[in-house]
Amino acid sequence: MIEERTEQPIVRHRPPAIAPVAVPMFARKGNTARRRRLENGAVFGVQIILALLLLAGMYALNAVGGNLVMPNPNDIVAESVLMWSDGTMLKGLGESLTVISLGFLLSASTGIFLGVLLGGFRVLGRVLDPFVNAMNSTPGAAFIPLIIVWFGLYTEAKVVVVWNAAFFPILINTTAGIANANKELVEMARAFGAKRATLFWRVMVPDALPSILSGLRIGAAICTVGTVIAELTMAQSGLGGLLAAAGNRFQMDRYFAVVIVLMALGTLITAMLRLAERRIGRWRVSLADGR
Amino acid sequence: MSAPIISLRHVGKSFKDGEVRALEDISFDVRPGEFVSLVGPSGCGKTTLLRIINGLIAPDEGEVHVMGAAPQPGPDLAMVFQSARLLPWLTVAGNIEFVLQLKGLPGSERPARARALLGAVGLREFAEAFPHELSGGMQQRVGLARALAVEPKVLLMDEPFAALDAMTREVLRKELLQLWSRRGIAVVFVTHDIDEAILLSQRVVLLRPRPGRIDEIVDVSFPEPRWQQDPRTSPAFVSMREHLWDRIHDMVRDGAELEELAGAFGNVDWSTATFHRSFL
Ligand SMILES: Nc1ncnc2c1ncn2[C@@H]1O[C@H](COP(=O)(O)OP(=O)(O)OP(=O)(O)O)[C@@H](O)[C@H]1O
Ligand SMILES: [Mg+2]
Repeated sequence: MIEERTEQPIVRHRPPAIAPVAVPMFARKGNTARRRRLENGAVFGVQIILALLLLAGMYALNAVGGNLVMPNPNDIVAESVLMWSDGTMLKGLGESLTVISLGFLLSASTGIFLGVLLGGFRVLGRVLDPFVNAMNSTPGAAFIPLIIVWFGLYTEAKVVVVWNAAFFPILINTTAGIANANKELVEMARAFGAKRATLFWRVMVPDALPSILSGLRIGAAICTVGTVIAELTMAQSGLGGLLAAAGNRFQMDRYFAVVIVLMALGTLITAMLRLAERRIGRWRVSLADGR
Repeated sequence: MSAPIISLRHVGKSFKDGEVRALEDISFDVRPGEFVSLVGPSGCGKTTLLRIINGLIAPDEGEVHVMGAAPQPGPDLAMVFQSARLLPWLTVAGNIEFVLQLKGLPGSERPARARALLGAVGLREFAEAFPHELSGGMQQRVGLARALAVEPKVLLMDEPFAALDAMTREVLRKELLQLWSRRGIAVVFVTHDIDEAILLSQRVVLLRPRPGRIDEIVDVSFPEPRWQQDPRTSPAFVSMREHLWDRIHDMVRDGAELEELAGAFGNVDWSTATFHRSFL
């Protein structure tokens, strides 16, 4: 007891330069926290430097190659302000968000519903497996001409394009999550007298929830991509339409202003779903931590 | 003597279309309130036998009666597994309420019952914790509380303490004995710890492997209650332990010889062997 106490200050007063190397894993909490802060700071610092380098690279390219190769970042900012203030960007964003959210809602509801069916009824899953795989391996863009013939060029057709692209990853993740539900937990519930329906809804489906959520996250990312592709190739509208219009007229500053909005949108959607995934699948994260 | 609560007659079970003979000609009875241990080397069919008694799988031959009828999974039977097998998305109390719901207890009574059972295993404060926030020993306690919550007539335990450290194991054994003696449940306890089997049970069923069959049934009688008076130093305990280990060593030796024989004959393709010999 006494020895330990005399030792504590020695460890605490070690020069910080040595601390990260010399302090073993079981060192005091304060040290770990400080090390984590240091690491966070370092990561953020390097990220800032990289962003600045990128910006400098854009200026350099603009100076060497001219406005067509790389617009001046100042012009991009000016064009962004203009597009946001005259409502162009807001209108495009609204149109794109409509397609994204309709497509996502449709693919999520149908994908989860069918995935639960295919995972729950093993034979049905086996029967449909080759068809699902064939559809999933075909690039979504391959169906665009057919969708145009069937549904036209406007919002409803775009939603179908998005649905077609996002449906299969959601379906496959849901099916796999349920089909691979923890056998030990299933046996436990069976041993206590759970019937089929209880087993399914109270054990297998909750056990598949993390897998379903990662399907939704992948699906949402695909929805953004699908929307832009649909807007580029069908009736031009939304952010994709702005992109095409600016590109066709070689207005590269305008084009980049739209790209930045798309980047932010995609990042935001993925971050939101990752947060939901982390919250609902918290127990699985903790298990992965090794307990 | 009262009528047996579990009765097994010439029970046999095979897997993989008869390729793996897991159990053969198993016959024994368990009386109400009796504590019976199943011991035997790995792979001798202990888990399979528990599953059969639980009604999770049906035997290929023989008859099984639990409370006079073919076994059905349900609230009269409860199982404790080697790992706790708690539903990780439910709280500790939620896990116990889950099986209470399966038993058909009305929703209004479930929380109180779950908490009472958690109190019985000393985990009342952890009712709202999630399983991953508990240590392995605590999780196993929840598994035990869950099994007791349905007030089973038969408690089946499949190496429930095998994954725990020696100290926790010792504490839980004592708690198990106390809970058992208070409730008068019949217990079938699988272990491959000979000491544990003798320490806890009134009868030890020794199984031998390939195919799993009964080697010997040993009666154990020590003064009750056993949690107050450790019988491990008594001469009766020592000699019983010695006897069981002798049987197991015999088994292992037999098994080793069989293995050698299988190795010597199993991998030789006789047609090519004779072919080669004629060439030599
Ligand atoms: N579902 C199954 N399919 C095929 N073989 C099985 C199955 N279950 C058990 N077996 C076989 O039956 C035999 C007995 O298995 P069991 O799990 O009952 O042994 P055990 O006595 O519980 O072993 P351990 O002490 O290692 O848990 C083994 O040879 C095993 O390979
Ligand atoms: Mg086993």
